[in-house]
Amino acid sequence: MFGVVYSYALKDFLRFSRLIAWLILGGLTFLLGAVWQRLMPGSTPSQSYGDVSTLMVFRILPLASAIFSTSVISQEVEQKTIVYLLTRTVPRPVLLLGRYAASVTVVALVSAFTAILLSVSTFHSGALGNALLWRDLGSIGLAALAYGSLFTFVSLLFNRAMLVCLLFAFGWETSVPNMPGAMGRVSLVTYVQALASHPPLGGDSKLLAFATATLSNQDVSPAIGGAVLSCVFLLGLVAAVGWFRTHEFVARDDAE
Amino acid sequence: MITLKNASRWYGEVIGLNDVSCQVGPGLTALLGMNGAGKSTLMRLVTGQLKPTTGEVSVFGLPPFANPDVYRRLGFCPEIDNFYERSSGREFVTYMARLNGYGPAEAKRRTETSLERVGMSDRADREIAGYSKGMRQRIKLAQAILHDPDIILLDEPLNGLDPLGRRQFMDVLATLAHEGRCVMVSSHILYEVEQMTRTLLLLHRGRLLATGDLKVIRSLIDKHPQKIRLETDDPRRVAVSLAGLPNVLSLQFDPLGRALLLEVREPDSFYAALPSLVLDEGLPIHGFSSPDNDLESVFRYLVQE
Repeated sequence: MFGVVYSYALKDFLRFSRLIAWLILGGLTFLLGAVWQRLMPGSTPSQSYGDVSTLMVFRILPLASAIFSTSVISQEVEQKTIVYLLTRTVPRPVLLLGRYAASVTVVALVSAFTAILLSVSTFHSGALGNALLWRDLGSIGLAALAYGSLFTFVSLLFNRAMLVCLLFAFGWETSVPNMPGAMGRVSLVTYVQALASHPPLGGDSKLLAFATATLSNQDVSPAIGGAVLSCVFLLGLVAAVGWFRTHEFVARDDAE
Repeated sequence: MITLKNASRWYGEVIGLNDVSCQVGPGLTALLGMNGAGKSTLMRLVTGQLKPTTGEVSVFGLPPFANPDVYRRLGFCPEIDNFYERSSGREFVTYMARLNGYGPAEAKRRTETSLERVGMSDRADREIAGYSKGMRQRIKLAQAILHDPDIILLDEPLNGLDPLGRRQFMDVLATLAHEGRCVMVSSHILYEVEQMTRTLLLLHRGRLLATGDLKVIRSLIDKHPQKIRLETDDPRRVAVSLAGLPNVLSLQFDPLGRALLLEVREPDSFYAALPSLVLDEGLPIHGFSSPDNDLESVFRYLVQE
């Protein structure tokens, strides 16, 4: 049953109309990577890759996760198609996990695609020899799992959950890591960046540091980053499954 | 098959269903009530989309909420008209079959069988977005019956169907009921229901007003005057004869002088007495009808509106 749910959800999430925006963002990241070295004199390919990856790839990931995670259940409720899914014999946890896995797959693919394009634009023919790329791909996988489980859980709690998730992905994840002191440790992006271990941002632009959520330097090791993301992934998923198994999900305006 | 014991369901401070107790078995049962009466709430409780706030709901003795064992034997055709618009009807029904646990070959076989049964097998490859209302209703029915359920619940299934489609849909439902399944159909259009069944659950403002056969319900309202129209060329003569009957409450002449309008109690007694009056006294009655003799009137009487 898991495979059935996963494959049908994946097919839905991979529709061209749903992917076109991400393909465009990937193309923009490719262009930005190509011009970055011209904009930042003396920047090496590794430096350019790291800067643009922090600025684009790890911004696109929570954004994609916010959008695709709300498609797991919340979108079905809003489209009122949830009734078809909840009156079949597929157990609710399997339904949620299958659709969650499909959303994580798409988020990881979109982010990995962007990272590979960026590597190509900065390293050219040596793109696959870029050690940062491979570390990023690992980070993308774990970050997609963590953001995905958090957003999936949040989307079960709120109506119009996408707004809440987007506010978190952009508002919280940009502003909190830039706050002074240890505030950055209550944002996921801090741990994602720790896991990716990009070189320090080139130049001394405060605006760029703010945009990449690196204004306040947090001293977090990759191991801690990985551990925290793993915990968020597991706790978020357990909470989401528990909530979905026991709560009602009915299109609101149909209630009679 | 379906049992509700003092089941109530609140939406915050609004009550959707109020202390309803009933049992529904095999055959076709109509769930009647106006919009907002609680029909959809009852359907959602039985299909396990909602949990009762108080009381119990059971299907085959099991609580239906999120219970795959219940869904194996229950099919639901919802009122909502929402689909995965980009998929075809065949893809949609196949997807539903796969979610019921069938392998690809069995899902395909069941999809074809159910599409055939609802008359959609030759039109199911188009995108659902381009379907007419009737085709969408048929696809909804197809997904509800693909796993041969013992219980089939249909929420306002005849909405938007043309007369032919309505007839065909009713025939399918009658066949399903004749096969020994429990078929429950909700509707607020009473004449539709009258053509399908005489077994009723009557809901009003969340409460179950009456259950059982239409005749039983009719007996509950026998004390209410029922209007009867007699077609006659000589209404005054007919009026003189009928005025002596104890259950005739009032007589009124049609302005055109072609009919007599009566209000009677216990209409069955009146109908029993009428033939002998016509034969013995030679009353010139050409026909009669009762504008009250439908479910609309039953419903109106019972809710005192």
